[in-house]
Amino acid sequence: MDGKIIVVTSGKGGVGKTTATASLGAALALEGKKVAVVDMDIGLRNLDVVMGLENRIVFTIVDAVNGKCKLKAAAIRDRRIENLFLIPASQNDNKNAINPQGMIRIAQKLKKEFDFIFMDCPAGIEQGFENAVAAADEAVVVCIPEVSSVRDADRVIGLLYAKDITPKLVINRIVPEMVARGDMLSHEDVVEVLSVGLLGLVPVDDQVVVATNTGGHLILNKESKAGAAFKRIAMRLNGCPDLPIEVPYAKQGFWKKVGNVLTKNVI
Amino acid sequence: MRDGDMDSASPETPPVRLKGVGDALQVTFDPRLPELTLTDEMVRLFTRMGALAQGARVVLVPDGDGDHSRLVDRLAAFISERYPVVSAGASGSTDAEINQRIRQRQADEGFTRQRSDALVMAGRVRSGQKMEAQGHLVILGDVNPGGEAIAGGDILVLGSLRGTALAGQPENHQAVVFALDFRPTQVQIGEFVAAVTNRGRGGKPEYAHLSGGSIQVDDYMKNHPFRGLPWPEFR
Repeated sequence: MDGKIIVVTSGKGGVGKTTATASLGAALALEGKKVAVVDMDIGLRNLDVVMGLENRIVFTIVDAVNGKCKLKAAAIRDRRIENLFLIPASQNDNKNAINPQGMIRIAQKLKKEFDFIFMDCPAGIEQGFENAVAAADEAVVVCIPEVSSVRDADRVIGLLYAKDITPKLVINRIVPEMVARGDMLSHEDVVEVLSVGLLGLVPVDDQVVVATNTGGHLILNKESKAGAAFKRIAMRLNGCPDLPIEVPYAKQGFWKKVGNVLTKNVI
Repeated sequence: MRDGDMDSASPETPPVRLKGVGDALQVTFDPRLPELTLTDEMVRLFTRMGALAQGARVVLVPDGDGDHSRLVDRLAAFISERYPVVSAGASGSTDAEINQRIRQRQADEGFTRQRSDALVMAGRVRSGQKMEAQGHLVILGDVNPGGEAIAGGDILVLGSLRGTALAGQPENHQAVVFALDFRPTQVQIGEFVAAVTNRGRGGKPEYAHLSGGSIQVDDYMKNHPFRGLPWPEFR
């Protein structure tokens, strides 16, 4: 097996890297691929909580890189989705507990075991970022339609290009109504500045909060718009790059309709 | 004032100076000195030149203002008598002639012999990246917010300028910043700084230049800075 390592990064924190990593990993596993999601946020791990696997952690990526355990021992199988594994981060080390050389070594083993390996990169561009991108073949840059996030994503894209990795862009947390009103950057605005290939557009969705807090999989929630968007992104990563990109749209007149219905009933 | 000038200048500046201008020899002299001192100095210079002066055209230029045409004539006659020069005389129209010849030659040579000190880069300057040039900087692409373009001369962005542009560093006040889509975060020309608050939607070619001690932005197509130049100049 010769897997592909995809780093999920953003520069700025809180834009949805961890959610994107968990969702993309789950979506590709549902398509029958063997997937590992690796939490690279050493010292501030989250991916295990988001995936509801916190209570099963015995070994971590730090143990695997430093040879304290075998890779398979650190990989936790997700019982809800076959073929999905989590390699958690250590909570009591810091980012210097591993180094890029160690990551490149473990990457060879990961590629033999899995089809897709998603690296959940920590925020920032320091050691944690260096570790996460060291062995990456591809990069997914997650960005939200805010000026600060776009600025940081731009910086990260520059750093990725410097490492000879061509990044692809996911714009997360789009509020179509605000875009329609002109209160939020549209995806065209973001792409104009960042000028990289667009992988997908994810609308804002309350279900993300629910899934994150309960440790459930967003992808398994058929109601979730964000989940559907991540599924499509996963398909684009998995050999369907030409799948059309769905632009989240504002349901104009929705409240008006509700208003009309209410008004009729009252009358 | 003149005395002061002379006092400060005399230890370093010789009373008669010689240089080649175009195809002529320009002799600059201090008209306040006694004529005898000037002729002595000229003799010394021309003697040192020896055969080089043969067939040369000599232009006499007095330092400072004032009408010294008689002195110039006398000195010209002195040189013509003693040395095998083709002609000797005052500047005046000769300067214009020289300029004209220089311009004509530049035009004839198609400016091929001149080298402009410009760095031409293609691509996108992203946030955190910095593009520096000793001379002029031309960017065929965009400068993103957070990106920096720094140049000793002009900065020309053939694309969208949304980052920071520092032209004329450290103190070239003639420098301009031009962009096809002018929406910078901040512009500096020399030591002058302008923070751009209302960036608007851009989309038209504009340039920033220094005017009366502050940076001014103008529509390039309506009012560009090079309209007043009588002749194409090297920059």
